[in-house]
Amino acid sequence: MAPKRFTVREGTDSRTVEVDAGGQVTVGDSDRRLAVTGLDRAEYEVSDGVRRRRVFVAGPPDAREVFLDGRVFRFEVTSTDQRRRKSSAAHADTMTAPMPGTVVKVLVEPGQQVRRGDILIKLEAMKMELPVRAPHDGSVKAIHCKEGELVQAGVRLLDLS
Amino acid sequence: MAIRRLLIANRGEIAVRIIRACREMGIESVAVYSDVDAEAPHARLADMALPIGPAPALESYLAIGKLIDAAKSTACDAIHPGYGFLAENSAFAAACREAGVTFVGPSPALIDLMGSKTTARDAARAAGLPVVPGVTPSDQSNAAIERAAREVGFPVLLKAAAGGGGKGMRLVTDANGLDEAIDAARREAQSAFGDGTLYIESAIERPRHVEIQVFGDTHGRAVHLFERDCSVQRRHQKVIEESPSPALTPALRARMGDAAASLVRSVGYRNAGTVEFLLEGSGDDARFYFLEMNTRLQVEHPVTEAITGVDLVRAQLLEAAGEMLPWTQAQLTLRGHAIECRVYAEDPAAGFMPQAGRLLCYREPAMPGIRIDSGVAEGGEVSVFYDPLLAKLVASGETRAAAIDRAAAALRDFAILGIRTNIPFLLDVLADPRFRDGNIHTRFLDEETARLVEASRAVPPPDEAFAAAVAVLAGPSTGDQGRGTRDQPRDPWAMLNGWRN
Repeated sequence: MAPKRFTVREGTDSRTVEVDAGGQVTVGDSDRRLAVTGLDRAEYEVSDGVRRRRVFVAGPPDAREVFLDGRVFRFEVTSTDQRRRKSSAAHADTMTAPMPGTVVKVLVEPGQQVRRGDILIKLEAMKMELPVRAPHDGSVKAIHCKEGELVQAGVRLLDLS
Repeated sequence: MAIRRLLIANRGEIAVRIIRACREMGIESVAVYSDVDAEAPHARLADMALPIGPAPALESYLAIGKLIDAAKSTACDAIHPGYGFLAENSAFAAACREAGVTFVGPSPALIDLMGSKTTARDAARAAGLPVVPGVTPSDQSNAAIERAAREVGFPVLLKAAAGGGGKGMRLVTDANGLDEAIDAARREAQSAFGDGTLYIESAIERPRHVEIQVFGDTHGRAVHLFERDCSVQRRHQKVIEESPSPALTPALRARMGDAAASLVRSVGYRNAGTVEFLLEGSGDDARFYFLEMNTRLQVEHPVTEAITGVDLVRAQLLEAAGEMLPWTQAQLTLRGHAIECRVYAEDPAAGFMPQAGRLLCYREPAMPGIRIDSGVAEGGEVSVFYDPLLAKLVASGETRAAAIDRAAAALRDFAILGIRTNIPFLLDVLADPRFRDGNIHTRFLDEETARLVEASRAVPPPDEAFAAAVAVLAGPSTGDQGRGTRDQPRDPWAMLNGWRN
């Protein structure tokens, strides 16, 4: 059986991971072969024959969160045969709620000119105020929320041109 | 009269902590939970659990009438308020008294005395304690607050007159931006404490925050249990607390302890409390100023328990039942060092944005010298409705360095996935040379956060290949087969996925 190849990306860093027929893993151009053993739900042991590390993992196969030694890696995993470029889903000028919360104040009106860094909307979540700031100079095209409204993460709050 | 059944008017880790004390003392525990907390650890661990309403705290954990009804319907003889929520609400303490239920804490009159910054400062001055200059303007208009700020002198701190915990607090260095700060502080104070009244205080530059744990009873005992140094704060929210303070000499410790105990004696305080001081300078002639008194158990109380060996919640329950404190001042000693790290659901890389979602993986470290107080469990949901505190990790050791090393080792072994946490940031702080030297002040984190977050990004993580290997080889979607909900009971066989053999 031919080895399977994957690309594992975190931010701008990308590595090739190869899994051979015996289930041994080679990462990048390293000459170390890693063996992975499941220990418990979400818990694995990885060994290169000398060093062993306990690793925790969560998430679907193409978007893994991995815990190792107090750090969390967020990997985008793609099989090299089915590799596709994802189109960027969010429109650059749409401001969305970064997390669920309540809209406490809308500080701008449609048509208003704003400067980069201006506070457009104030959200409150977990008793903390979160300002939503303009990412660049522009004018407010439309407002999609109102004061007092409870919004979920990712909900469109405002369009900027 | 001994307590036989206790209602815990709180949630999260502190409710779990109090339930544990109840179990040890043979007291039946009654939990209350909001709709989103039906399967939360505190609701599952208590002997009994009652629903008290929808998720927003105003309709559940802050609803005095519902809590009193819950206590009556379960024939509780006492209520423990925990911290936050109604812990420093005198109307709640009074409602308990009226309903014939013991409130675990001081009297409503004392809560009021210390709850107002003005009367608290007067009481402190009367007991001979030095205070920081400040004022609560009777006219709360923006213009009047600005006049008060000019009188006190910039820089000033705007604070919620009705509460602590950093909620509603703003540092203002000059008149520019004062209006915006006033509006924001007032809104936060209103939503956190139901009272938007602001207090204006002179901001002492680069002080330490050192607080003294105190305890009083109705038999005339008034003791202090040494200090906690809470100087590691981010925007006035405590992040790391420790005892003893690296800045205190034995002579200064004795002076501050005596001052705090004399306040307890002077006002006739009963049960657990904390006297907070700002400390300017260090060594025998450092100056300390009374800041406020918290009339409740503190989040960071385990630090004191670790260095003194006492159980503060047990003592609270004994005192509330009318018993004499289990210790005299002479019996209290301090040994070794303890440090608490607050593990928050927040993302350091995104401006410490609070995080909500499901805990796909949550494994607490277990090792000697480590205590974890938590109120969450794997598979559980962290909601936006409450404080983002997930757990408190308390490390003890024979020296400060040993305690710090132990805390760092435990944090590196604290596997949390599904929600971003501040653990990487805590590790960076613990490794910072200035923190390790004990050379810090309350602005330390605010000044250094950007550098710390940047530095941790620059370090190439070791053994990343090990993590990448698991990312590829782990089984299908991991972590979603956790604990079930009421509607979907958990499937015990799902737990076996991925096990060896």
